[in-house]
Amino acid sequence: MAYDSPGNSRQGMWSRRTFMKSTAAGVAAGAFAGASLRVAEAADGLRSIGLGVSEINEIQGQATKDLGFTVAGQAMGYGEMFSKMLNQNDQYEIAEGYFNDMRVMEPAKVWQPIPIKKLKDWDKVTNLTKTGKLTPESNVGQGDAPYLFLWVDAEGNTVKGPSDHIIMAPGWHNADSMGYNPKATGRPIESWGELLNKEWDGKVALLNVPQIGVMDAALGVEALGLKKFGDKGNMTKPEIDFLVDYLIPLKKKGHFRAFWENFGQSVNLMVNGEVVLESMWSPAVAAIQAEGVPCDYAFPKEGMRGWHGGLAISAKVKGKQLDQAYEYINWWLAGWPAAFVARQGYYHSIPDNAKKYLEPAEWDYWYMGKPAAKDLSDPFGTVIIKKGAVRSGGSYWNRYSKINVWNSIMKENDYLVKRWTEFLTA
Amino acid sequence: MTTVESYAKLAETAPRGLIGGAPAAQPEAEVDRKYSREPGFPVPILIAPAGLWLIVFLLLPLVSIFIFSFWKTTGHSMIPAFSLENYKAFFATEGFFDPKNTEFLTPSVFIRTLWTTFRFTAIVMVFCLILAYPMAYFLSMQVENFKWQLALFLLVMVPFWTSYLIRAVAWLPMLGRHGLINEFLLSFHLVSEPVSFFLYSEFSYIMALVQLYVVLAVGPIFFSLAKIDRTLLEAARDMGATPFQIFREIIAPLSLPGVAIGMIFVFVMVMGEFATAVVVYGGKTSTTGTVILNYYVIANYPFAAVNAIMLMLAMMIGVVVILRVVDIRKEL
Repeated sequence: MAYDSPGNSRQGMWSRRTFMKSTAAGVAAGAFAGASLRVAEAADGLRSIGLGVSEINEIQGQATKDLGFTVAGQAMGYGEMFSKMLNQNDQYEIAEGYFNDMRVMEPAKVWQPIPIKKLKDWDKVTNLTKTGKLTPESNVGQGDAPYLFLWVDAEGNTVKGPSDHIIMAPGWHNADSMGYNPKATGRPIESWGELLNKEWDGKVALLNVPQIGVMDAALGVEALGLKKFGDKGNMTKPEIDFLVDYLIPLKKKGHFRAFWENFGQSVNLMVNGEVVLESMWSPAVAAIQAEGVPCDYAFPKEGMRGWHGGLAISAKVKGKQLDQAYEYINWWLAGWPAAFVARQGYYHSIPDNAKKYLEPAEWDYWYMGKPAAKDLSDPFGTVIIKKGAVRSGGSYWNRYSKINVWNSIMKENDYLVKRWTEFLTA
Repeated sequence: MTTVESYAKLAETAPRGLIGGAPAAQPEAEVDRKYSREPGFPVPILIAPAGLWLIVFLLLPLVSIFIFSFWKTTGHSMIPAFSLENYKAFFATEGFFDPKNTEFLTPSVFIRTLWTTFRFTAIVMVFCLILAYPMAYFLSMQVENFKWQLALFLLVMVPFWTSYLIRAVAWLPMLGRHGLINEFLLSFHLVSEPVSFFLYSEFSYIMALVQLYVVLAVGPIFFSLAKIDRTLLEAARDMGATPFQIFREIIAPLSLPGVAIGMIFVFVMVMGEFATAVVVYGGKTSTTGTVILNYYVIANYPFAAVNAIMLMLAMMIGVVVILRVVDIRKEL
């Protein structure tokens, strides 16, 4: 693995400061002793795996530049990522994972506890992950809310927080709902119930990930007043049965145009006029508008479906690489990557740090929910937000005070997948 | 005995119109000549690379899949056990052993999924045969010039030069509500509003599968047709056989091995399909491949293994059935 001397990393104040402060004795020793010691040294640099949300060449490239060691990022599909995180924790140092997988990852002990004293800006991390309430009035939301899994003891066992260790440093997150073509619907979409409205027969698409698709459908069923679920993030068998038995006839009469599996598909469905309404990830809105097709993102009155990503360290990492892992995590928390992903609509756990790297107009649009003061670009320089546009749902704090349910893995996951298969085969 | 004679004998002894007629009895000398070997590398050395490859990358994984299918899942990994629970879950519907349950005799969703997978495969095979046979026939029988034959055959292969995904995705702008076909129909006022069933339907699914895999059938059929000795056909014509008779008595039986191999290719490929359904059927069906993937993703490896074994079993049965109908070893 390439060895960059820290002397090469004077690009920013931040990196130098980190270096000076770094407790990474190994790094310093290596730097001063030079090549002769390198042979004896432990592995150097980090390998990071995750989804395309956080694994972007520009981000890990910037980290490599700022930190003075190589951070090699690898973006994967969801299933692939999940399996690699779970089964091959010697193949990565950093897992840019998701709190909704914790029900599997935490007991598997594939990641090591992170002492919070290693995280420089820990105090600035919002309460969204610490207590579940971004603001005191916030609704915690059903399902696998991050705060339920964040806190662990020194051995990595889940504990009721707060404690001295966390399993994953909170990072990027967002709240999902539905995207729709306002010209085709003729009115704003303001409820999850619209997903099941027969007005849109044959023009609706759902996300074909059983764990998530079923929650969107449950939100719809609940919005229509057909059933009240105890916990949509952890349904019982009868609840799953009720839901699937309700969905099968809908599918048979052709209500659903398609079930999409990746971002590109969801964009194409709307752009090609195949659907007028679908469950959607928020960056798709900009992508669809860029194709000249009108698209709005719903802010349903029932609240949105939240998800939360973050950075975990493989249980196998130790020594110098462990110090580098802490450095990389601290770099994430310090704001540069937070600003980068903000331009795609994702939020970060330390908004103030993101703000440092955002232009005021960007901050006002993405976080504050104000009209864009000028045209805004995505991280790659393409203009995606026209002047005057407003983000649906308002400010970050407003959106996140109304999380209805978090992406989850249910206890009845096997049964859910089985019934979902039945739904698709029907 | 020359080849011509042996084929003539074959045609003579084959029961009329019976698929896969009895093969020509080959004289001892012929057999000896055919199977005697030049001295060279010993056989074990020749088969060692392939053998090793198959053992490491086929046999061992298969055996481990079989073993894993009896293990138990813990939600995040699996532990060694000998449990038939996974097989029970595959076969038995919820409430299968409860006669009061109205659905107690309904096949489980996994059996139904396997059946759906098979049903689509069978339909695709039929269409592939209907399309591939005339194509191969034209190439081998009607095109006299070898250069043209080769050129046209390569032309048939052109779709295979692009990636699988592109070939599947290319249907979207054709079939969609605002696709080429709908635009055409609309502009000529043949329909008043876009036709939905072209895309994200069984229609589009089957059509895409046929387009994706028909080449696999064309190849083998072409080669077995090209191998047919033309003098046989000439002889038949001289004897006053009608074109239909020639086809039925000579060409069809002699091309059967190619048909069988082509059908096996298509069968095995389509049975294992899961991606095309997502692209052109909008994920509105589940194949056993999808089920395996879904359980793999939630780390229930034993149950994924059970589905994989059942799929393999179904494929093996299918291949055996095809080989029963056409005995390739005897025909080739």
